[in-house]
Amino acid sequence: MNAPAHSLPHGHDHHDAHDGGHGHITLQYQPGLPLSRGKLIMWLFLSTEIMFFAALLGSYVVLRFGAAVWPKPHHVHLSEPIGAFNTFVLICSSVTIVLALEAAKANKASLAKSWMLATLLLGTLFLGVKGYEYSAKFSHGIYPSAPHSRMYEKPDLYYGSAVRARIEALRKMPKGQVPTLLASALVPAKTEDGKESAPPTTVDAIQALIALPENALSDEQRSARSHLQQVIKMADDPNQQPFDLAVIADQVMPLPSEHADSHGGHAHGLNDVFPWLRLPAVIPGGNMWASTYFLLTGFHAIHVIVGLIVFTILLLYRLDRKRAGMIENAGLYWHFVDLVWIFLFPLMYLF
Amino acid sequence: MSDRHDDAVHGPLTRAGHQPDADAGGHGEEGHADADHGHESHGGLGLYLAVFAALCLLTTMSFLTYSSVWPWRDQPHVGWAFMMAVSCTKAMLVVLFFMHVRWEANWKYVLTIPAAMMAIFLALMLVPDVGMRNRMVSQERALHMARPSDIRLMEQAAGAGAFADPAAAH
Repeated sequence: MNAPAHSLPHGHDHHDAHDGGHGHITLQYQPGLPLSRGKLIMWLFLSTEIMFFAALLGSYVVLRFGAAVWPKPHHVHLSEPIGAFNTFVLICSSVTIVLALEAAKANKASLAKSWMLATLLLGTLFLGVKGYEYSAKFSHGIYPSAPHSRMYEKPDLYYGSAVRARIEALRKMPKGQVPTLLASALVPAKTEDGKESAPPTTVDAIQALIALPENALSDEQRSARSHLQQVIKMADDPNQQPFDLAVIADQVMPLPSEHADSHGGHAHGLNDVFPWLRLPAVIPGGNMWASTYFLLTGFHAIHVIVGLIVFTILLLYRLDRKRAGMIENAGLYWHFVDLVWIFLFPLMYLF
Repeated sequence: MSDRHDDAVHGPLTRAGHQPDADAGGHGEEGHADADHGHESHGGLGLYLAVFAALCLLTTMSFLTYSSVWPWRDQPHVGWAFMMAVSCTKAMLVVLFFMHVRWEANWKYVLTIPAAMMAIFLALMLVPDVGMRNRMVSQERALHMARPSDIRLMEQAAGAGAFADPAAAH
C-alpha cells in the first residue's frame, strides 16, 4: 500500500501498455487522497472527536439554557482571569508545536526538540492550573455527585436538616480531625464520671471554638464565630421561618450578587473563614453546573494528558525531517485540544 | 519548485486518478527520506506569530465582556453572541493556519463538513427533550428544583443584614 517512490516511474513506463498487456500487469499505487496514511487516520480520528466534543458542548448548552436557574461563574467560584490565563497557555503551546514542526521540516532536530519540550511544559502548566481550579471547587464542597458534594439547590427544609446534621457531626468530631486553631481550647479530657482512664475519641468542635479566648482569633474570625452561634440557634429554632434558611445559607456561603466583587469573586462566608466547618451550602443550579463542568473540563483534561504522553514519547526520538509526519499528526491533535478549549473557555467562564 | 518535481514523478498517475489540487502533490509520506517537501512554502514564523497575536487579541476581546468597560452588561445575549463570534474566529484561525487546512487539498471538506453537520444536528436533537425539559414540570419537581426566586431569596437574605455584628465593629 505504501507507495515506494522508485516504483512510480516504473509504473509510468508501462502505462500505455495497460490494455494490451498479457499478464504483464504491474500494480500501481494511486493515492485516493493526497495525504499520508497517518495524517488521514488522524483526521478521521479528529472528525470523530469533533462529534464527541460537539455532543458534550451541545448538551452543556442545551442543559444550560433549558435550566430554570444556572449559577453565575462567581457563584461557583470560577475565576475568569485564571481561565483566560489557561487559554493563553494553550494558545502558546499551539504556537510552539507548530514551530516544532517547522523546525523538524527544516531538519533542525535540536530546535524542534526544544519547541516540543516547551509544548510539553506549557501543557503541564495548563494541567497544573486546572488542578488548582479543581481543588478550589473541591474545597468549596463542589463535586459532581452526592457523597462529596455539599451543594444544595435551594434553602429549603432539606437544606436545614443537612445543616443540623453537619452541626451534630461537628459536635462529635473525631480527635484526629480537630483543626489546629482549636487545639488550645481542647481542655484535658474530663469525662462525666471524672475517671481519666478513657479519654473521649471525639470532641465538640463547636464548643471548643466558642471557648477560644477573644485574642486567639482575628476580627474576621471573631465575627464569624458570633455568626456561627446565631446560625446554630436559627437552625435549631422550632419556629423557623423559610427566610431563616436563606439567611443561614447566605451566612455559610454567600452568593455574590455582582461580579464587581473583586477578591476572588466571592464574599467570605463561614465556610471560608473556618474551612473545617464544611457546612452544606446553597448554590441554585449548582449540581447540574458541577456535572457539566467536571465532565467537559475533565474530558478536555484527559485529552491534554494524552497529548502530553504523545509529546513525551516524541521527545525520545531525534526530531529531524523524518519525524515531521509524526510531529504534524501530534500537532493536529494538540491543535484540536486547543480548539475545544477555545469554545470551553467562554462557555464555562464567561457565559 | 518541489511541487513541479513531484508532479513530474506522479504525473500520469495523478491525471488518471484526478488529483484535484496540484498544491497537495508535494505531500510528504512519512517514510519519504528524500523528502523535498512542498511544505516549506506554508506558514513561516512571521505568519504564525501574526496568528498568535490575533489569537491573543481575540482572547482579550472576549475577556472584555467580563470587564466593566463592556457596555452591554445588562443584556447578556449581546455578550454571548459576541463571545461565540470571537470563538469561531479563533477556531477558524487555528484550523486554517496551525492545522494547515488552508493549504490542504479538497479532502478537507470531505472530513470536516459531514462531521460538523452531524455535530450541529446532534445538538439540535437534544433541544426538545433536554432543552425544553423545564417548560412543563410536575408539581413535585417544581417544589424541589432551584428557581430564580431562590437566588432572589438569597440576595434578600444577604441584603437584610440579619445579624447585628458586635465583633465586626473592632
